[in-house]
Amino acid sequence: MAENSNSIIEMRNVGIRYDQGPEILSDINLSLKKGSFHFLTGKSGAGKTSLLSMMYLWQRPSRGSISVFGKDINFTNRDSLASLRRRIGVVFQDFRLLEHLSAFDNVALPLRVCGMEEREVRKRVSELLSWVELDRHMLDAAATLSGGEKQRVAIARAVINRPELLLADEPTGNVDNFIAPKLMKLFVELNKLGTTVVIATHSDKLINDFAYPRLHLQNRGLHILYPSDKSGLGGSDV
Amino acid sequence: MSKSVYIARKQELPLKGDSTSLFLQVIISIAVFIFAITLSGVLSINSILENWNQSILGSLTVQIMPINDANQEKAAAETLAYQEKAIEFLQTVEGVIKVTPLDDEQLKGLIQPWLGDGVNIENLPMPRIIDVKLASDAEIDFAKLAQDLAVASPQASLDNHKLWLSKLIRFADGLKLIALTILLLVTAISAGAIFYTTQMSLGLHRYIIEILHIMGAKDAYVAQQYAKRMAVLGLIGGLFGLLFAIPIIFFIGSLATQIEGGIISEANLSIGDWIMILILPLFAMTISMFTAYYTVKRTLQKML
Ligand SMILES: Nc1ncnc2c1ncn2[C@@H]1O[C@H](COP(=O)(O)OP(=O)(O)O)[C@@H](O)[C@H]1O
Ligand SMILES: [Mg+2]
Repeated sequence: MAENSNSIIEMRNVGIRYDQGPEILSDINLSLKKGSFHFLTGKSGAGKTSLLSMMYLWQRPSRGSISVFGKDINFTNRDSLASLRRRIGVVFQDFRLLEHLSAFDNVALPLRVCGMEEREVRKRVSELLSWVELDRHMLDAAATLSGGEKQRVAIARAVINRPELLLADEPTGNVDNFIAPKLMKLFVELNKLGTTVVIATHSDKLINDFAYPRLHLQNRGLHILYPSDKSGLGGSDV
Repeated sequence: MSKSVYIARKQELPLKGDSTSLFLQVIISIAVFIFAITLSGVLSINSILENWNQSILGSLTVQIMPINDANQEKAAAETLAYQEKAIEFLQTVEGVIKVTPLDDEQLKGLIQPWLGDGVNIENLPMPRIIDVKLASDAEIDFAKLAQDLAVASPQASLDNHKLWLSKLIRFADGLKLIALTILLLVTAISAGAIFYTTQMSLGLHRYIIEILHIMGAKDAYVAQQYAKRMAVLGLIGGLFGLLFAIPIIFFIGSLATQIEGGIISEANLSIGDWIMILILPLFAMTISMFTAYYTVKRTLQKML
């Protein structure tokens, strides 16, 4: 691992399958450099969510090895894995908010699980919520928010902890098919500050507007495409 | 932005809404109720036993019944021979330190109050008495000793009161064992109920727990929330159980003191005993808390 000290995620011959089913992804080799920005593309069912869920240490690969922040997860104990997860922010495809909690409490979650002082929690969460223009809904239960508002809460929750790695799964159909420009700008800003970003998306507009490399999933494999690459594996397969 | 918003923090895991809360409180209060009454029984038995043991410890009296014979001298000699046999046997018994037969003067001194001064006891068939000193830690089976003694010296018999008391002690020991088993069972059943309801609750709140997990919550973070909740349920349940148990403990106590003969007059609970009973809700709280904590830790390792 020493050779890749600036590598945030290393995957070696990774395969993943569910139960006894066929492999969804096979022989994935990937090295995500610190400070990089990637889109993650591929047809529905290609395995984008599966790949991301291995990155945020939810799914374990059924074979191969993964290192996150230089730690091989097969040789890392439960509590240390939790510590690694705290350095990763995730925006889920379906947001996964705690519906019974307020927007505030949802965003405060990552801070509270690592035991931050409540005074500091309040300061940080209020600031961020007003930045995503949700200060009026701060105390509203997540269940009462609109789709777009939920997305902003989900994104605020993902970035509140100033993560070193930010993973975003594509937004579902009930919201705009692309991430609002202001939020995309947030990701770009965070990336400039050093955060490594991976965004799974279906949006051609997003891919074309921002000239970032793509991790493209096809036929169970991973292909890296650069903006200049016109090889035809592009967005037409959505 | 100077407006300071007071934000009432809501629990991430809405454990208060769990429908098993009331069930657990009832289970725990019944458990503490049974536990308190049984424990008071054990403690009473202990204080009785201590008293009884005191009175059978240390020494022992063996009586040699006199032989009846027209020839008084022959009878006295035979009685002495039986005494000798009894002494020989007693000296071989483990735990016996010293065997002292009472001499004629001492025997006369014992009998005098009953017969008065004027009686010439030389003419009466006289039982002999042997005083036996026991080691303070001697564990003597009085029933067996009585049997063996009768074999060694047919005229010899053990002090009746002690024999009877030693049987009573055994009975009380048996009762105590049963009571302790009940205490153990009640504790185990309550811990089991907490274990299963906690597992159910973890399944119920799986969605929330998964999110906490992905946010980087350690297992202890979730376990603590369950431990806190169960501590409250355990304490409340325990207080209710105790509340119902105390009048019953007093009632049983008053029944015991009404028994004539003073056998159970020592059944009173000491201050220390009462403290043990009164802290039972804290005990219930601790057990509930640790059971919940352990269950969560164990279950999450398998679940996530
Ligand atoms: N938890 C799961 N159990 C079983 N199969 C799953 C599970 N999650 C995903 N799959 C399957 O794995 C494949 C890839 O799914 P996913 O990673 O969600 O792809 P994508 O996000 O690109 O749409 C799909 O065929 C899906 O049915
Ligand atoms: Mg997906």
